[in-house]
Amino acid sequence: MTKKKRENISLLLFVAPAFSLYFIFKLYPAFSGIYYAMTSWNGLSRTKQFIGLGNFIEIYGDKHFWNAMLFTSKYVIVMLIAANVLALGLAVAIESRRKGKGIFRTLFCMPNMISMIIGGYMWNFIFTKVLYYLTDHWGMTFLDKSWIGNPRYAFIAIIIVSCWGIVGYLMIIYMAALQGVPAYLMEAASLDGASSWQNFWKVIFPMIRHSLTICIFWTLNSMFQVFDVIYSLTGGGPGRATQSVAINIYEEAFTGNIRYGYATAKSMVLFVIVFLITVVQLRLMKRRELEL
Amino acid sequence: MRKKRRLSNLLIDGALVLLLLFWLFPLFMALLNSFKSNRELLTNVMALPSTLNLDNYSRTLGKMKYLRSFFNTVSLTAMGVGMMIIFSAMAGWRLCRTKSRLSSVIFGLFVFSMLIPFNSIMIPLYKVILALHIKNSLIGLAFVYAGFGVSMAIFLYHGFVKGIPFELEEAAAIDGSSKVRTFLSIILPMLKPVTVAIAISNVLWVWNDFLLPLITLSDNKKYTLLLSTNILFGQYSSDWSAILSALILSAIPVIVFYWIFQKQILKGIGEGALKG
Repeated sequence: MTKKKRENISLLLFVAPAFSLYFIFKLYPAFSGIYYAMTSWNGLSRTKQFIGLGNFIEIYGDKHFWNAMLFTSKYVIVMLIAANVLALGLAVAIESRRKGKGIFRTLFCMPNMISMIIGGYMWNFIFTKVLYYLTDHWGMTFLDKSWIGNPRYAFIAIIIVSCWGIVGYLMIIYMAALQGVPAYLMEAASLDGASSWQNFWKVIFPMIRHSLTICIFWTLNSMFQVFDVIYSLTGGGPGRATQSVAINIYEEAFTGNIRYGYATAKSMVLFVIVFLITVVQLRLMKRRELEL
Repeated sequence: MRKKRRLSNLLIDGALVLLLLFWLFPLFMALLNSFKSNRELLTNVMALPSTLNLDNYSRTLGKMKYLRSFFNTVSLTAMGVGMMIIFSAMAGWRLCRTKSRLSSVIFGLFVFSMLIPFNSIMIPLYKVILALHIKNSLIGLAFVYAGFGVSMAIFLYHGFVKGIPFELEEAAAIDGSSKVRTFLSIILPMLKPVTVAIAISNVLWVWNDFLLPLITLSDNKKYTLLLSTNILFGQYSSDWSAILSALILSAIPVIVFYWIFQKQILKGIGEGALKG
């Protein structure tokens, strides 16, 4: 046996445990999903029929699915802006402090450690009990909204809670990037008479651009999958008004309909859309990074 | 000029503190009201509890089978992350050291699926879980987490091994040490920094994951903390003092974990993202 062959065999032995788990629970489901998406498989009948593109044609006319997609897209766009602006602002503000940097960072990041199921239920309490109390007894009448029951305010509530959950995470990434900006650059700029506003946009921002690319990529990817926060806050309601695509797929497969094949087809559509968007985003933003 | 700067500093400090209060508000309100009886809670949610009443806690400990759920979550996380680490370290090391086409093909297979989100394969995965009869099995679920986590972990180990000098392993091999022994006594100890980072981020992921247990664990003896909390919320939807104490109880382990490892966690987030 040649040395190379021996090396390859030992490689296979060392890789086998990881690869078999990976194959069984990720690769195989990913590829068999393509097949299931073309069947009428459901939880009721034992047989599943191959129906080709039938599911995809049905998705095309599925009002609930596209409403969920529209809702999710709106959610992603608002989150992209709100969460990143807030996180970057916080990172800059906290980095500029002489004292208390560590404690601010730790506390702002804390909600990110807690599951959004827990966080969502805590906020549920705020929206359904505490805010009404503040309206009635502290005269804060602007809080007197049906935060969970009215689609418009439910959307705002979901945005607030999601920001609460992820801003700390994004902030840490921006802070790490800010720490990479050499201090002498900023000093030089302010000696030359740059205001802090100019200093930020002309000196600091170009240097931390790669972190913006990463954070936007991360936000896009994870926010399109949003599930926990909506599940615990509104459950997708009122009606289906705040249903995200992930909630819609979950509902299709595991509650009520148990139409596995159709739900798989929906999840394929979601994957393709998110994949295309993130590829375009990375291309565009990487190019901008290079131009600088 | 100096005066202006002082003023703007003061404004930023004020804004940060205000925002921080808002940030901690839900946690604080949940904690505050978890000590009240339901009647006290409904009369005034903003008041301090009249007594430090632990009735709610003793009530929910039993209702949500807290200890059982806690140990289920601990064992699920420990088994899942443990397997993930051992298997990925083995694979990452050999994949980096073996220079052959086979090696790069396997590495490519591991890396390529990193972008496939859980939602997209959830249903076919459910089918696999049914076929293997590991629905309602914590060990089975730990295997699933390991299978999901190995891509990223192998990617990180692979990168880390590149930076370790080859001479040590070579010397060990000349001395007649088998690969398994070299791995256990030389490589594994050297991988410690990256192992710690991988372990911490994956513990948080498995601990906080909700959707996978939600679809695979239907036997309440196997419930994780999040599932028990979720069920409690459904069953006692107007009993806020029970729910809030349950929320606090399920948040505590993670907050303690965060407090202990915050340095590594925060460093891991920042560095992990910027390197990737």
